[in-house]
Amino acid sequence: MTAPAAAPPGPKMITLTIEGRPVTVPDGTSILEAAKLAGILIPHYCYHPGLPVAGLCRMCLVEVEKAPKLAPACATSVMEGNVVHVHSPKALDARKGVLEMLLINHPLDCPICDQAGECELQDYTFQEGRADSRYHEPKRFNPVEDFGGDVLYVTNRCILCTRCVRFMEAVAEEPVLCVSERGDRAVIGKFEGDDLTHAWAGNVVDLCPVGALLSKDFLNKARAWELDRAASVCPNCTQGCNSVLEVRDNAVVRMKPRSNEAVNHFYLCDQGRLDYRWLNRPDRIEQPQVRTHGALVRADWAAAIAAAVGLLKGNQVHVVASPMLSNEALHLLARVINAQGGAGRFAVETGPEAPLPGVKDLALRAERAANVKGAELLGFAKGGDVLAGLTSAHVLIVADHDVAGLDAATIKRAKALIVIGTALDASLAHADLVLPIANMSEEEGSFTNLRGRVQRFFQAKAAPGMARPSWFVLADLVAALGIAKTTWSPGDVFASLAASHAHFGGMTWEGLGLKGAVPAGAEVAS
Amino acid sequence: MAITVKVLNRPIAEASYLRATLGGMARTFKHMVNPHKVTVQYPEMREPVSPRWRGTHRMLTTEDGKAKCVGCGLCPTVCPANCIKLVPGEDEQGNRYPLVFEIDEFRCIFCGYCQEVCPEEAIHMGRHYENAEYSRASFVYDLERLTAQTHPVSQLWDPSDPAGE
Amino acid sequence: MIQAVFSHGGVIDPQTPIEDFWPFTILTIVKMVVVFTVYMVGVALLTFAERKISAWIQDRIGPNRVLWKGFGQVLADGVKNFMKEETYPEAAYKALFILAPMLAFVPAMVTWAVIPFASPLPTRWGLMSMAVADLPVGFLFTLAISSLGVYGIVLAGWSSNNKYALLGGLRSSAQMISYEIAMGMSTVCVLLLAGNVNLNSIVEQQATQGWNVVLLSVAFLVFFVATYAETNRLPFDMPEAESELIAGYHTEYSAMKFSMFPISEYANMVTASALTSLLFFGGWDIPFTTWDNVPPWTTLKTIVTLGVFAIKVIFFLFTFMWIRWTLPRFRYDQLMSLGWKVMLPAILAYVVIIAGTLLGLDAAGIARSSRAFTGILFGLNLACVGVLLFVLDRGRLLSPAQSRLKSAELSRLRQVASRSTLAPVTGD
Repeated sequence: MTAPAAAPPGPKMITLTIEGRPVTVPDGTSILEAAKLAGILIPHYCYHPGLPVAGLCRMCLVEVEKAPKLAPACATSVMEGNVVHVHSPKALDARKGVLEMLLINHPLDCPICDQAGECELQDYTFQEGRADSRYHEPKRFNPVEDFGGDVLYVTNRCILCTRCVRFMEAVAEEPVLCVSERGDRAVIGKFEGDDLTHAWAGNVVDLCPVGALLSKDFLNKARAWELDRAASVCPNCTQGCNSVLEVRDNAVVRMKPRSNEAVNHFYLCDQGRLDYRWLNRPDRIEQPQVRTHGALVRADWAAAIAAAVGLLKGNQVHVVASPMLSNEALHLLARVINAQGGAGRFAVETGPEAPLPGVKDLALRAERAANVKGAELLGFAKGGDVLAGLTSAHVLIVADHDVAGLDAATIKRAKALIVIGTALDASLAHADLVLPIANMSEEEGSFTNLRGRVQRFFQAKAAPGMARPSWFVLADLVAALGIAKTTWSPGDVFASLAASHAHFGGMTWEGLGLKGAVPAGAEVAS
Repeated sequence: MAITVKVLNRPIAEASYLRATLGGMARTFKHMVNPHKVTVQYPEMREPVSPRWRGTHRMLTTEDGKAKCVGCGLCPTVCPANCIKLVPGEDEQGNRYPLVFEIDEFRCIFCGYCQEVCPEEAIHMGRHYENAEYSRASFVYDLERLTAQTHPVSQLWDPSDPAGE
Repeated sequence: MIQAVFSHGGVIDPQTPIEDFWPFTILTIVKMVVVFTVYMVGVALLTFAERKISAWIQDRIGPNRVLWKGFGQVLADGVKNFMKEETYPEAAYKALFILAPMLAFVPAMVTWAVIPFASPLPTRWGLMSMAVADLPVGFLFTLAISSLGVYGIVLAGWSSNNKYALLGGLRSSAQMISYEIAMGMSTVCVLLLAGNVNLNSIVEQQATQGWNVVLLSVAFLVFFVATYAETNRLPFDMPEAESELIAGYHTEYSAMKFSMFPISEYANMVTASALTSLLFFGGWDIPFTTWDNVPPWTTLKTIVTLGVFAIKVIFFLFTFMWIRWTLPRFRYDQLMSLGWKVMLPAILAYVVIIAGTLLGLDAAGIARSSRAFTGILFGLNLACVGVLLFVLDRGRLLSPAQSRLKSAELSRLRQVASRSTLAPVTGD
């Protein structure tokens, strides 16, 4: 995951053999990281690439030839000519012992544990642990503790890896957690009077290798193996943290961070991870609607696009766009504005900024929308009155904009109103045409984050009814207006965007991949 | 095209119609006076079913009458027919339990995997075969019905013959 | 009134037939009621017996759920038949459609009028014959009436306006006519021996000479087979062959009208069984004794002979069922072939043989009641039956559709078959 950047003129390179495979890594790399490069996962609990090394769980013990004892792979740097055996009988035996010790007090409540299915203790025990326990005495019992914020601490399941303690100390730099008590009574505790209320505290749930720290939001909601996962980008601020949308029964039930060294490392703020419910809103528009004889009437897509052309032909447009729309949708809207004449504006909500001190340039940003930068780049004016300049000569296009606070009388000034969106607000009920689109979890597209990084997100669930992806609807409209040929995929739209806009120049849809890309010449220092 | 004709080689010498007729009469008479009855008087008498019999499900309960199920989701996962619907939730004490637990017995193929996989020994196949209902909908057994049923449960394997020989 | 009716001036010998009008009429009415009741209850129980016997033969249990041991099944079926909906096919000829079941039922019923079922009963008004109507033409009456039964079936088949029903009806008429001839001829032999058509006389004749089954074996065999055909019982139930004709002539019937057909079938069975025992098994005669055949008549004799007669009839009823659940159905051409090509020639020849023998024996002065007479006839019959069965065996006469190959021809065909294969044949 975090392969240290292999810069050519960097430090001395060291070659060693792990499980018979030769690996070359920079000096100072741990055996555990080197093994990852060789494609070998050394079991571990306390080690996490984003946290200081603690070396206390002893799960990553491996056999290094010529070393007198087994070495903890996470805390042992590689040496030239090392021969490492991960699965030698000695190493396996040691780890089996560690697992047995961990399981002495770990309850066998996997059926009611939310971590089941994504639990490292479960996985490693299944891989290398004993089939049964030799410990027949009653297990230690402690009650469940509420750590504040979104976090619940199930003491019994804790294996004291201290990832959470180290995260709060070294990354969040707000030491709230500690290890209280000693020996077999040790548990994770809070400092008196403190709560896990830090804006990034929710990450301890992801860091916890077992089910000791749980998200209250996700508690008992779904099993890990029932979830369909799609790579996505958190849409809740301009930071553009990479995320995974987890879907069950066509509803997003959880958003987790996806590691990207250049953006968010391994983290996602609480604001971002908990704000996914709007993706599941039930009051969606499911069919195109055309105003006929004074009433909105359901229509098929061909009729709806024809009606849009009829409304737009020869008229200027005023577009109120949402900064939640993808680059592709905004690009196509911009083409409509360019061809018809008119203006595009957007507004963005703001909130307090909350940085994560331990990671450079990572914060919950003040502007709470995904694609502010993209909208600005594509010629939409930010802020102010989004309806400024709207005259009766304009056709008003409201593209998924949240209309709360708009002046209804001003909206009525427009010659006609076209709503392209996921839901129809009451103040837009007089629209002449309503085109339902998918929200960001239901379509593919890309966002541009505040540093200009263009990142793709993927479809996680199905759009309701006849709703179509925004690029699909707008590409049809652009083609019907005779502005350009129609396009058949978001990649095609992006290609036309890359060809027409300097910021995106040289980028390809496939080239964006899972990590995104920055414009040529604006390389972000890592 | 030549056609092959099947020529029946009948044992003409043995085909005595009278003997056959009388033999038949004797046979039926023998059966009448000395019948080998195998009929089971069904509602009153029942053939014992195998301890491995897998019939419609039963949900076992704890002493206070609650379903043993903790909503772990293993049975819907393992179910090859996809007939179990489970929505887990929390009760007043914060315990995990199934908000919705439905088994569509029409879809069920009675493989017994759910019983085998259940870590709480909650869901069981029943040793039971009288399942008639008046509507399709009533074949979707909800938690209430599953816990209310009282028929004996399957053992999935015969303890005296675990290898199934 | 009653006293007046039954009082009689003079002393009446109980051993002479009743001559007074009123006692005769009233006792006849009593006999009618009793016979009808017993008859109908018997028919109902027969349906139950049929189901039970078939179950036993097939190693099943049979109806056993209604009342005691399932005897209530009869009632349940009756109630069911009354409660069911009467359906009328749209294209049916309604009048005949309704009439047909009655026509099938009545003749079976009426035949019983002349059947003597016990020795005469002495009463204070005279000797009462134990037949509802002891007609002098007794046996001819049964032949005449039983022939009418076919009308019910034919009309049912025709009036249903259903091709299967019509086929059933047609088969029935053809079958009835074919077998009635053989049946009539077989009774000629009995009449030759008895010299009288009164059924009581036939019983007396058998009591003195021995049962006709011994004296007229071939006639018995033919009569026996013909009764099966006449009652449409398996293996002769062509009119309702369900594998070919759905249900034959009663395809379109429902409820009680349908039920009338099975009832008449069972009634016919009872009649046929009674006739068989009368004509060939001595009727109410108890074998190996003459105690029951000679006056003075007593009530005890009546009861005992009634029991004997009942046993004989029940045995033949059982045989009906036994055969039904053993033998498969004939093919239609086999049925016709048996009737016309086997039974008719055989019985014609047999009539000639018997008539000639009787003539010869009479001319030789051998008394009819002598043991020699019985012995000679018995020996003759043994020979006749032997010849008949030898000819009949292997079914050659019954299966004209089945060609028999000469062994030389057979081996030639086999050679051809072994040479030709189903693989591609060229140049053919």
